[in-house]
Amino acid sequence: MERVFDFRAQQSTSRRATALFVLLFAVLTAVVGGAIGAAVAIVFTYRNDAIRIDEYEPGVALFLGLLACGVIIVIAWMRFASFGGDGSRVARTLGGEQIYETTADADEKRYFNIVEEMAIASAMPRPAAFVMREEDGINAFAAGANPERAAVAVTRGALTRLSREELTGVVAHEFSHIANRDSRLNMRLMGMVFGLVVLWVAGRSMLQIFRFAGRGSGSRSRGNGGKAIAIIMIVALALAVFGFLGMIAGRLLQSAVSRRREYLADATAVQLTRDPVGLAAALKRIGSESHGSRVRNAHAAEARHMYFANASGSISSFGGMLATHPPLVRRITALDPHFDPLTDPIWLGRAPRYEDKAADDAGPVPEASSSAGPWG
Amino acid sequence: MGIWIIVGIVAILAVVFVVIYNRLVRLRNGYRNAFSQIDVQMKRRHDLIPNLVETVKGYAKHERETLEAVIAARNQAEQIREKLAGAVGDAHTMAQLGQAEGMLGNVLGRLFALSEAYPDLKANQNFQQFQEELTSTENRVAYARQAYNDAATSFNDVAQTIPSNIVAGLAGFKTAGMLEFEDREAILEAPKVSFG
Repeated sequence: MERVFDFRAQQSTSRRATALFVLLFAVLTAVVGGAIGAAVAIVFTYRNDAIRIDEYEPGVALFLGLLACGVIIVIAWMRFASFGGDGSRVARTLGGEQIYETTADADEKRYFNIVEEMAIASAMPRPAAFVMREEDGINAFAAGANPERAAVAVTRGALTRLSREELTGVVAHEFSHIANRDSRLNMRLMGMVFGLVVLWVAGRSMLQIFRFAGRGSGSRSRGNGGKAIAIIMIVALALAVFGFLGMIAGRLLQSAVSRRREYLADATAVQLTRDPVGLAAALKRIGSESHGSRVRNAHAAEARHMYFANASGSISSFGGMLATHPPLVRRITALDPHFDPLTDPIWLGRAPRYEDKAADDAGPVPEASSSAGPWG
Repeated sequence: MGIWIIVGIVAILAVVFVVIYNRLVRLRNGYRNAFSQIDVQMKRRHDLIPNLVETVKGYAKHERETLEAVIAARNQAEQIREKLAGAVGDAHTMAQLGQAEGMLGNVLGRLFALSEAYPDLKANQNFQQFQEELTSTENRVAYARQAYNDAATSFNDVAQTIPSNIVAGLAGFKTAGMLEFEDREAILEAPKVSFG
C-alpha cells in the first residue's frame, strides 16, 4: 500500500520555495539598496562644487547601498523575531480568543473537536485553537514557526455558517499550512516585506518633516543649513521612491508564493480528510455569502496571505498579481471538476446553511451522526 | 589467511543483522505507538456509550431492544480491546476488533436514527453533546486507524522483503495485522485531486 500522505516531500518543496524566496528577496534588497546608494551618489557628484566631491565616488554609493541593505535586513529580522515563532501571539494580534476543551458553546466545542481530529490525522501535536469572535465572514488562518508552537483560528462566521464536514475541510487546510511549514514561510514573508515598508515610510516621513523645516529657514536657505537640508531631502526622496518600488515588488513576490501554497494546502487537506466535498462546499459558501471571507481586523492587511481565503473586500488588483489567493472558482474546480457556477446550489446560496438547518431541527443535522464523519 | 576471511564475513553478517534487527524494532515501536492512539480513542468511545444509553432511556423507553444491542456491542468491543492490549498487531485479534467496532458503529447509527422519532430527545442538550462527542470520537478512531495502518504497512514492507525477512524470521517478528472496519473501501479509495 502506498503511503497516502508524505509530509516530508511537502516540507522539502516548502523549503525550496523558501530558499528561492530568500534569494529573490536578497536580490531585491541589493537592487533597492544599490539604487538608493547610486541615486544619492549621483546627485552628490552633480552638485560637486557645493559639496566638494570632485568626482563620482563609487565608494559613497557602495557605502550608502550597503547601509540601506543592512537596514532592510535588520528590520526584517527584528520583525520576524518579534513574533518569536509563536502562533498564539499572532492569533491574538489578529483578534483571536483562545478556546479550551471545557467551552460551553456547542459550536466552539465542535470546532475544538475537529482540531483534535485533525491533529490525529496529521500526526502533529494539537495547536492552540482560537476564535475571532468579531468576524462575520467565513475565514481562518494558521500561524507558528513549527507544529509545537502553532495556532489555528477561525472566524465566528465560519463556526455558525459551516457544517461539520465543511469546517473540517477548512481546519484541515490550515493544518496543511502548518504541516507544510507554510506558516513559518508566511512569517518570514511578513518580516521581509515589512523591512521594505519601513524604508518607504521613513523616507516619506523625512520628506514631510524637512519640507516644513526648509520652509521655516527660508530666509537663510542659501547657507549651510539649507544645503544640509537639501542633501537630506535627496536621501529621503531616494528612500521613499525605491522603498516604495521595493515594497511593491516584495508584495508581488509574497503574493506569488502565497497563491502556490494555497493550491498545495487544498490538496494536502483532502489527503488528510479524504473528503474533497466538504472543503469544496466551504469555498462555495464563501462565494455565496454577502460577507464572503472578509476580515475586518485592523491588522488583516499585513497578514492577508495567511488567511483561508481572500481577507480584503476587493479581489482583483494588478489583474490578480497582488491577490494572495487563487480565484475561488479555480480552487473549487480543482476539488470538484463538475463544478458549474451557474447551477451549483451552494454557490448560488440556495442550499440551506448549517445555522438554518440547526434552527429548523432544533438539533444537529441527523445524517452527520449515522456514519463515520468524513467518509460519509 | 583463510580464517581471517571467514572472520571478516561473519563480522559483516553480524553487523548487517544488527542493523536490520534495530530497524525492525523501530518500525514495530512505530506501529505499536500508533495503535496506542487508536486504543485511547476507542476507550473514549466505549466510556461515552453507557451514559448516552442512560440519557436515551429517559426519553425512549420503548426502544429497549436497540439500547440493549448498543450495550452488548459496546461490551464485546471493550472486551476485545482489553484482550488486544497484550498482543498489539496480532492479526486475528485485530480482525475481531475491527468487526466488533464496525458492529458498534452500526447499532449506534440505528440509535441516532430512531432519535428522529423523539423530538424531546433530539432537543435534549446532553443528547446533542453526546452526538457531537461520538461523531468526533469516531472520526478520531478513523484517523488514528489510518496512521496505524500506514505504520503497520511500513513494518510489513521491511519484514517481508529480502534480506530483512531472514532477520525477521530468525528473530521471531510477526506480520502486523491491518485494522479494517466495515468502511474498508472508503478508506482505501483515497480521492486524488489534481491541481493545475
